[in-house]
Amino acid sequence: MKLIAGVDIGNSTTEVCIAQMDSEGRMRFLSSSSRATTGTKGTIANTAGIINGLEVAMERIGKNVKELSLICINEAAPVIGDTAMETITETIITESSMIGHNPSTPAGAGQATGTILYMQHLEDGKTGIPYIVVASSKYSYESIAETINSYAKKLSIVGMILQADEAVLVENRLEQKIPIVDEVKYVEKIPEGIQAAIEVALVGQSIRMLSNPYGIATLLKLDANETKKVTPIAKSLIGKQSAVVIKTPFEHVKENKLPAGEIYFLGDSKTSVNVDAGADKIMEVLSQTGKINDISGQSGTNVGNMLRNIKKGMGELTKEEASEIKITDILAVDTLAPVQIFGALAGETCMEKAVGVAAMVKTKQLPMEKIAEELKKRLHIYVKVAGVEAVMASLGALTTPGTKLPLAILDLGGGSTDAAIINENGSVVTTHKAGAGELVSMLIQTELSLSTRHIAEEIKKYPLAKVESLYHMRLENGAIHFFEEPIEPKYFGNVVLLHPDKMIILEDDIPMEKIVAVRREVKKKVFVRNAMRALIEVAPEHNLRNIENVVLVGGSAQDFEVPEMLMEEFANYKIVCGRGNIRAIEGPRNAVATGLVMSYIGERHD
Amino acid sequence: MQINEELVEQIVRVVSEQLNKKQGITMTDHESKKINYDKYPIANKGTNPKEVVIGVGPAFQTQINKTINGLELNEVIKTIKAGIEEEGMVPRVIKVLKTSDVGFIGLEAAKLSGSGIGIGLQSKGTAVIHQKDLYPLSNLELFPQAPLMTLDKYRAIGKNAAKYVKGDKVSPIEGENDPMVRAKYQVVAALMHIKETELVDTKHSSIEWMEV
Repeated sequence: MKLIAGVDIGNSTTEVCIAQMDSEGRMRFLSSSSRATTGTKGTIANTAGIINGLEVAMERIGKNVKELSLICINEAAPVIGDTAMETITETIITESSMIGHNPSTPAGAGQATGTILYMQHLEDGKTGIPYIVVASSKYSYESIAETINSYAKKLSIVGMILQADEAVLVENRLEQKIPIVDEVKYVEKIPEGIQAAIEVALVGQSIRMLSNPYGIATLLKLDANETKKVTPIAKSLIGKQSAVVIKTPFEHVKENKLPAGEIYFLGDSKTSVNVDAGADKIMEVLSQTGKINDISGQSGTNVGNMLRNIKKGMGELTKEEASEIKITDILAVDTLAPVQIFGALAGETCMEKAVGVAAMVKTKQLPMEKIAEELKKRLHIYVKVAGVEAVMASLGALTTPGTKLPLAILDLGGGSTDAAIINENGSVVTTHKAGAGELVSMLIQTELSLSTRHIAEEIKKYPLAKVESLYHMRLENGAIHFFEEPIEPKYFGNVVLLHPDKMIILEDDIPMEKIVAVRREVKKKVFVRNAMRALIEVAPEHNLRNIENVVLVGGSAQDFEVPEMLMEEFANYKIVCGRGNIRAIEGPRNAVATGLVMSYIGERHD
Repeated sequence: MQINEELVEQIVRVVSEQLNKKQGITMTDHESKKINYDKYPIANKGTNPKEVVIGVGPAFQTQINKTINGLELNEVIKTIKAGIEEEGMVPRVIKVLKTSDVGFIGLEAAKLSGSGIGIGLQSKGTAVIHQKDLYPLSNLELFPQAPLMTLDKYRAIGKNAAKYVKGDKVSPIEGENDPMVRAKYQVVAALMHIKETELVDTKHSSIEWMEV
């Protein structure tokens, strides 16, 4: 009886499976494990993770690693994924001309236009002119309300801007109700004596006049030329609860289009595309170019730097010259990144257009032999490098009940989306596409402006709920879940992630609905698009209708919604698609490790 | 140095004298200052779902007028109410007479609150945000180190309590921790608490507190 281990080193996880073979060559799978990959895929640093994975798997069957007679590791495809992101537009406001932000509690509702007047200069106010009064936080809400009430008969006060968070307190004490915007940090920078418009949205709505260029034009009486110039202001106010726009030199506000630069594709033909054209156009040009040898960007531009940095980073990791590293595929995705507006008064941010890119880097052959040697040295067990990754994955995927040849697999990993088709005579066609789980995490992080990548990873993995009381929570699908026991008070009122063991509190204050929308949108943008791209490339005659079965394997196939998204999409092509279930117990994981053991045992029989 | 009962008594006496001079709190003859609350309206359970009830201790604004670090209780209660009001909720103040424990005061306030959210406030300044379904010694947020409290923190307590009512995401108030506080204030804290505890009338229901 011999014990054989199969080891699959992936971008983010290392998977192990253990099988036993008796003297008649019959095989039985005993155990498996999954551990985080240590170091970059294909480097000696991987050995620590491999040994750890072997130990865990052997322990599960009460045995020692030393009892193994053979370890098979995969001939990993020499491709590594990386991600980067650049904004391509930027709003710059060189003079203080707008304040648009979301204080949680503005007061009153509606809009008003008037001349800016400071609280301390109220006695200089003239009758007949509408005023917007600005008060700094050194005035208490009581004294503000009292003063405004006493001046209300003499002057026409139409709105207020406060520095402190006291809009409701002031409004409750006013005899005449007016819209009030509060929490404006740099209130002293608002120039006195000029025209300003303020707006506070109705309950449950966002502002309508000031987020519309023509609305600003109406309130501040602008001509066509000026209206054109306020467009970036209006754009950055979309979705806000309250806003202030000041009529001060509008020529100083501009939406700066950064030189986005060209992407050059070197392949069968040489093509180029401007990043400004958007992700769809980039991908279209990429697919027209055919087989790609290298991708680069115009030097001195954002995209040029971005692609160069990917190559440089990869070169450092694999100890190769950056010039030897080739990018063979990219996936570009349109996204929005919140960027702090340069010159803003209340720390406002604006959603700027950005392009997220995942790149597939081809290096020289990965030094799997070196890893094998290192393993041999440390464990004194024979190590064999065998089998191409995609072929092994197909073999492993075939152990899913209900599959038959020809079979297509989609390996949704961390760094890349791989596809392979294995047909009746055993020949295999494979492809590797840039962009998978890690790109999804990056896009979630930027679009929701989360503080860490870790929390974006968690959002990607688990469904959400809002804890509405100590006894129940509302799930993201609208259903209510009651707790058997009242939960800890720290969860009260929070949006939580439903990790199987515990609930994780999201510290960032973002509505649950928005997180769900962003998460689903990003997954669609990356996985659905890449799955189509990869399958079309390997499909006979590049036609999806020639594929009957698709088995999803890999870490991201464990996702709670991605397989359903793909199933819906492939249903249009009459393709049977579903999450793999390797050896009927492993789910979509462990396909390559399983395939390695199977191919070794198969070979011995031949 | 030997610590015996005599020494402790001596320290207490010296501290009392100093406090009397400094803050004008009379630490003696408290019995005579017990107030008859029979004429005050009994606090009933509120029906307004926007209500946040602030429960104060028995000595609040009658025998004690300043918190342990000298903040005027009038200002403290006004600030908490402002925090609640700014978030669009409605404050109501009651005086809890049957206990001087901040957890139980907070729970009593929460149980009488139309929203089920209450704030407990001892006269020395210790505060808690409570919810009616919690155990007395559990809570939503506790501010145990009264000497480190400021008016801004009391404002934030009102604001957070109101946000719990609305079911908003609440960011816990940043707390400060000073390990020396205990040593520095222990005796004063004990005296203030004893003073408040001596005024407890376990048979008296909580009353509406209008002196604010």
